[in-house]
Amino acid sequence: MIRIENIEKRYTNNGTVTSAVLSEINITVPGGEFCCILGPSGCGKTTLLNLIAGFIKPSSGRILFNGIPVTAPGPERGVVFQDATLFPWLTARQNVEFGLRQRGLKKDDRFHTADAYLKMVGMSGHADAFPHTLSGGMRQRIAIARVLALEPSALLMDEPFSSLDTNSRERLQDELLRVWEAQRRTLIYVTHSVEEAVYLADRVIIMGPARKGICRDISLPLKRPRDRASAGFRQVATTLRTSLDTLPCCINSSVE
Amino acid sequence: MRRTPLKNLIPVFIIILLWQVTAMLVTGIRGVPFPGPRETIVKLGALIGGQPLSDHTLYRHVVDSLARWLMGFGIAALSGIAYGLVAGWVRRVEDATYPILHLLQLIPGLAWIPVAILIFGIGEAATIFMIAVTAFTPVAINVLTGVKQLDTTFVRAARMMGAGRGAMFVQVLLPGSLPAILSGLRIGLGNGWRVLVAAEMIVGTGTGLGYSIIQARWTLDYTAAFACVGVICIIGLLIEQFIFNPLEKRTVQRWVLERDV
Repeated sequence: MIRIENIEKRYTNNGTVTSAVLSEINITVPGGEFCCILGPSGCGKTTLLNLIAGFIKPSSGRILFNGIPVTAPGPERGVVFQDATLFPWLTARQNVEFGLRQRGLKKDDRFHTADAYLKMVGMSGHADAFPHTLSGGMRQRIAIARVLALEPSALLMDEPFSSLDTNSRERLQDELLRVWEAQRRTLIYVTHSVEEAVYLADRVIIMGPARKGICRDISLPLKRPRDRASAGFRQVATTLRTSLDTLPCCINSSVE
Repeated sequence: MRRTPLKNLIPVFIIILLWQVTAMLVTGIRGVPFPGPRETIVKLGALIGGQPLSDHTLYRHVVDSLARWLMGFGIAALSGIAYGLVAGWVRRVEDATYPILHLLQLIPGLAWIPVAILIFGIGEAATIFMIAVTAFTPVAINVLTGVKQLDTTFVRAARMMGAGRGAMFVQVLLPGSLPAILSGLRIGLGNGWRVLVAAEMIVGTGTGLGYSIIQARWTLDYTAAFACVGVICIIGLLIEQFIFNPLEKRTVQRWVLERDV
């Protein structure tokens, strides 16, 4: 379970504190929930995810992960970044093994565990390939495998499929759902796409531009597997889109 | 432009032509015999055949020079990489020491001669010190910059996967800044090699290519001196061709392309 309590985040720029990027954020994500954070660019979605990951510290408030305050990143909260950010000097398998190595696993165990997770994301055939030889979608699959291999209790994903073409994106969404349904880990997924949120999430949190914080918190009634073309799907998407449209766009938010 | 073997030879022809013209002009106008390409190559052949040069064979001079250079450059490479990794990672170390690096960079290699002789006396250690001190700065600065420019998401990803401090240095910062390390080493290598030859001329090492050049000058054997310069060029080219180029090709291919896609 992730509890976000009264989070505020301001950045300092040359000693002067800027206006808050996030303020008065309160969210509780129960264990096993697939929660999408939806909002226009510049609303602080990624900042919020980085706070949960422990990459940055809040200006005030705190984040509890399974009851323990988050102070630093760790393998119990696996992060999938917008770009795969695989280490280019390691093969696909070695990238997946990286976290296992930090855990002190023996060479044989690492090998087999990495194999299992590469298989789970359909990348067994490319285990010994270097990242630069693979497509964006393949790299993102490996990035997911390397995070799953950590056996985290939560997955944090920051627009992981936004740079992929539609076809790869939809396939990876399906695979992500398959993996999530098999393991039921808490999943926080940041996106700016209404369709993606409606297709994936149990619950959608809509964030507005800076200082607006959370605008809406909606549980999705749709059953899985969802059909992107169904009337129910379109209806939910329309509701979310209407909510988003009432928000000022990111350009307004920078004007004080 | 496609590099055909023939086109690769064009610069060689230009050098030989300029050299030949210079030799003819100097010999004709000043009346001083200036060794041309032909005499030099013949002399080089004789030296390779075992003709002694300043009491030793050419091979002895080459091996001694290479050994000094390897020692000095090795010290510079190891300490430069270690310093660069730490200073690139810990901001306070960088702030406290970077101005010193900048200063060191301004000191020409040969200006270290009095310092080297005062600390180590005349001989081997002074030469190695001079190589190390001139090769250190480019390595250190390049590695430091390389670490600082490393994508922060690499560091974040590593921490997220549980990398501790040791793993961060060895498994992320070191390989991540490898392209920068290589270009630093390449510059350091050139600097070290140049200062080596100069140091041998002055510090009086008794053997080595630089020593041979200066000895040949005293004995007016200019052809031998020219032959030694030729050997120095050949060694430099071989190191570029067979060590740095393949290494750089492999790393650049893996590291840089990933960012372009």
